[in-house]
Amino acid sequence: MSAGVLSVHAKPNRAATLILSWALFACGIALYFYVSHARHRDNPEDRVMPTIEQMARGMYSAALHPAEDDEVQTETGNFWQDFPHSMLWKDTKASSRRFLYSMLLLIPAVLLGLHMGLFPYVGVFFLRFILFFDKIVALSLLPILFIAFGIDELSKIMLIVIGVAPTVILDTFNLTRGVPPEQIVKAFTLGAGDFDVAYRVVLKQILPRVLNSIRLNLKAVMLFLFAGEMIASTDGLAYRIALLRRHMGMDVIVPYVLWVALLLFVVDWGMRFANRKLHPWFHE
Amino acid sequence: MPLIEIDHVSMSYGAPPRTVLNGIDLSIEEGEFVCVLGQTGCGKSTLLRLLLGSEQPVDGRILIDGREHRRPDRSRGYVPQKYSLFPDKTVLDNITFGPEVSEFGLWRRWMPEFRKRRRELRREALDYLRRIGLSEADGSKYPDQLSGGMQQRVAIAQALMSEPRILLMDEAFSALDPGTRKEMQRLIRSLWQATGTTILFVTHNTHEALRMGTRVIVLAASSGGEGSRVMLDLRVPDSRYPDQIAELAERLETISETSSLVEAAPA
Repeated sequence: MSAGVLSVHAKPNRAATLILSWALFACGIALYFYVSHARHRDNPEDRVMPTIEQMARGMYSAALHPAEDDEVQTETGNFWQDFPHSMLWKDTKASSRRFLYSMLLLIPAVLLGLHMGLFPYVGVFFLRFILFFDKIVALSLLPILFIAFGIDELSKIMLIVIGVAPTVILDTFNLTRGVPPEQIVKAFTLGAGDFDVAYRVVLKQILPRVLNSIRLNLKAVMLFLFAGEMIASTDGLAYRIALLRRHMGMDVIVPYVLWVALLLFVVDWGMRFANRKLHPWFHE
Repeated sequence: MPLIEIDHVSMSYGAPPRTVLNGIDLSIEEGEFVCVLGQTGCGKSTLLRLLLGSEQPVDGRILIDGREHRRPDRSRGYVPQKYSLFPDKTVLDNITFGPEVSEFGLWRRWMPEFRKRRRELRREALDYLRRIGLSEADGSKYPDQLSGGMQQRVAIAQALMSEPRILLMDEAFSALDPGTRKEMQRLIRSLWQATGTTILFVTHNTHEALRMGTRVIVLAASSGGEGSRVMLDLRVPDSRYPDQIAELAERLETISETSSLVEAAPA
């Protein structure tokens, strides 16, 4: 007898997997356009739920019309020439730059966690402080950061780092402590020094898990990035969303939100792919 | 001068302190194959950790070649029961890890001579692979692609590649099935005969100890909770005298039955 649909032993076939995994997307999109259509039938000027045509126009304008502050103000009709001058590209570039700097600043956080986990004195020195720091709500530090670092890039990047780094440090610390002591002793008996053990034995073993931990924190990175951009910025994806909110520009806000989700999805997929390629021995 | 001198060593853990080893005195000559027998929890692995230098005794001292060692180093190879290989490295990389890291460290591996030396080491490692009964193709596998027995073979090759004077093995075969275990016993015995490395082999299996060692040391906990002491220190007769070995096995098993000091299980 085959297992029922709700049975623990059920094995969805390929077609069922494909249909079920996309079903909620299809339902969500259908529901949105049904409600949007109904609202527009009652009020053709409705701006809360733009139609697909309105969103396509909004996105076309954001992606192909030159940004207001761009020196080039004429369209050529060629996508590859127009896109680099568009609002969408400039916002994406600005947010990506902040995102990239923040990610690079997480490297020292990983190294600190590694050293804390491996070298007892480093652990003793930092652990209590990091545990305390981890409990501070990063957004509550935003005014202090703006006062201390001004409203330029540094304060926004610091907000991301302060928000995410303690979690990454503690995750790396715990992963380091999780390496079997037998392996560390073994490495020493094979002639390794302290830093050989740290970088050639422990870091290499925990790196795939550290990357997974950073992947899980990508949303937090974006959250702090958006908070910083929404409050004090003159460009960036979140700045644009905040700006358009004032004009009820839902025809651009919705595509922007989907664009951000897509970018994050691509980054996450890229990191997962790199993790698999760089660490073929690692099985999640 | 003995290679290893354990001089009235005691060890305790926790608060209030629980004594695990109490005044252990032993001396081991170069080239001996010593099996340490004893019940679970009697301090066999603790003794090994003290010899490795990863823990320090609360009393007494351990001299290796006349010197105290305060941390693990190349003079003592180590094969634990599990987690013996680095999971992120292939079999060949695991075997060559020791010489590579000790000759080139962390930074000098970017120097041009490293590549040449690495090729030499890989040839040596392939030779070791053959000696432990693995194929060249196994060299490019990761540890989790090997069976438990194969992993332990690689772990032994990895330890011996660094040419330690002493090899410390902590219940290294206890997770293996009986057939593989016998094979491994033969392998380590033949490697010991070929290399002359001093081996300390911790086990709780009487037959395994008698089959492999030239000397058997039995650790046993005292009844008053004062920690373990050396209860027996026996020379194992040559394998040409099976009657004597059988008598010894019987003697050890009798101890096991009367005082439950030794767990005897046929391998």
